[in-house]
Amino acid sequence: MQENYLAKWLSGELSEEELREFQNSEEYASYQKLKEASSRLAAPEFDVDLALQRLKDEHIDNAPKVITLNPFRKFLRVAAVIAVLLAGSYFYVNTLNEEVTTDFAERSEVVLPDNSEIFLNADSHISYSKKNWDNKRNVDLEGEAFFKVAKGKKFTVSTDQGTVSVLGTQFNVENRKGFFEVTCYEGLVSVTHNNNESKLPAGSSFLVINGKIIKTGSPDGTLPSWMNNESNFESIPLKYVFAELERQFNVKVSSKNIDINTLFTGSFNNTDLNMALKSISTPSQTQYKIEGDNVLFYAGNTPQ
Amino acid sequence: MSNVCEDHIFSKVFKTHSKTVFNYIFYKFGNEEKAHDAVQEAFVKLWQNCAKVSPEKAKSYVYTVANNLYLNVIKAEKVRLKHADSLVKDRTNESPEFLMEEKEYKEKLENALNALPENQRTTFLLNRIDGKKYAEIAEMEGVSVKAIEKRMHLALKSLRERIDGI
Repeated sequence: MQENYLAKWLSGELSEEELREFQNSEEYASYQKLKEASSRLAAPEFDVDLALQRLKDEHIDNAPKVITLNPFRKFLRVAAVIAVLLAGSYFYVNTLNEEVTTDFAERSEVVLPDNSEIFLNADSHISYSKKNWDNKRNVDLEGEAFFKVAKGKKFTVSTDQGTVSVLGTQFNVENRKGFFEVTCYEGLVSVTHNNNESKLPAGSSFLVINGKIIKTGSPDGTLPSWMNNESNFESIPLKYVFAELERQFNVKVSSKNIDINTLFTGSFNNTDLNMALKSISTPSQTQYKIEGDNVLFYAGNTPQ
Repeated sequence: MSNVCEDHIFSKVFKTHSKTVFNYIFYKFGNEEKAHDAVQEAFVKLWQNCAKVSPEKAKSYVYTVANNLYLNVIKAEKVRLKHADSLVKDRTNESPEFLMEEKEYKEKLENALNALPENQRTTFLLNRIDGKKYAEIAEMEGVSVKAIEKRMHLALKSLRERIDGI
């Protein structure tokens, strides 16, 4: 006899042979009677319609339909996605550096998070991290700017030609093509150029032209001259003077029969072009001509 | 796609399965009131979660809810069943001895049924009264068909032994 043969017998799954064997057993009659009697058993009355009516009356018609929650869930899902995007872009924008750029004949003043001030001369660009400012006071500079640094941690001005670090002071950094000058007006400035560090006390300058360090005299006054709308030069090759003129007045300067490496000492006004041109041409013994935005410096006879 | 949230689908599911849910709980605990409550409880849950339960899953869902409802909570009472004895009554030539014997047998069967472990009794009655196949009972109880056959076999064996006084 197979396992659970009584269950198999009841469900009619016994083989003929097994069935015959079972029918010949002495307990078969008892099981047969049990099978018959149990098939006549009945469970208590259960009125399906009544139960359904009770369900609807007591629970369903009064209960809020849960299905209405579904759109809200969808809304939550969308809201969550939007929240994540907003938070993400907020953090992304926050980590971007602040940038300030001036164009030709343009100046700008920037107040840093610690109330340090930066005055940007024409055609210059600075960038710094507003978020990370408390940890690292660093400004990347291209062009020229005057710094009034509030006292605090080390303040660094990074340029492609050298690094200037201070604790709290006033200084000017000019970082132009082939020209790098740092002038300290207050406190002490440390300049690192080609891995050489120089300490610059108040009232002194550090000048590099075409990679050569050049000794300079002490600057006049307590502010760089351009802050007073004047560009000042002391033994500077003419080409840098012309470049500064281009930046201050947004003009195009060209020259003819002139050695642009001749050293120039003098200054020009940043507000009046005619006066500035005279200020350059007289000491350098050259002539000039204006045509629209073009300025030509020449020596000797007037070119045709 | 059909949805249990639709009234006619829900009513259909109710009409198909509520009676078995009722019997199922009644066989387990022998308490009619609890069985009625289990039906209400199970189908309210189904209605509340109608969006999540597909019509195919609705059947096993209501059995599971009904079963979990009284899990370890109530003690089984005596299961009192009715005996459809129409077959016997139609006969006109019954001897008093025969009737006596019948009555005695019913009492013995009822006692034997109540002496069975809950799972054997439920399995046996779902098969004998509701005509459920072993596979269907296995699905309701969440066990294998083999386990149901074992319960059935043991139930028959115990019932016969108790009735015959072995």
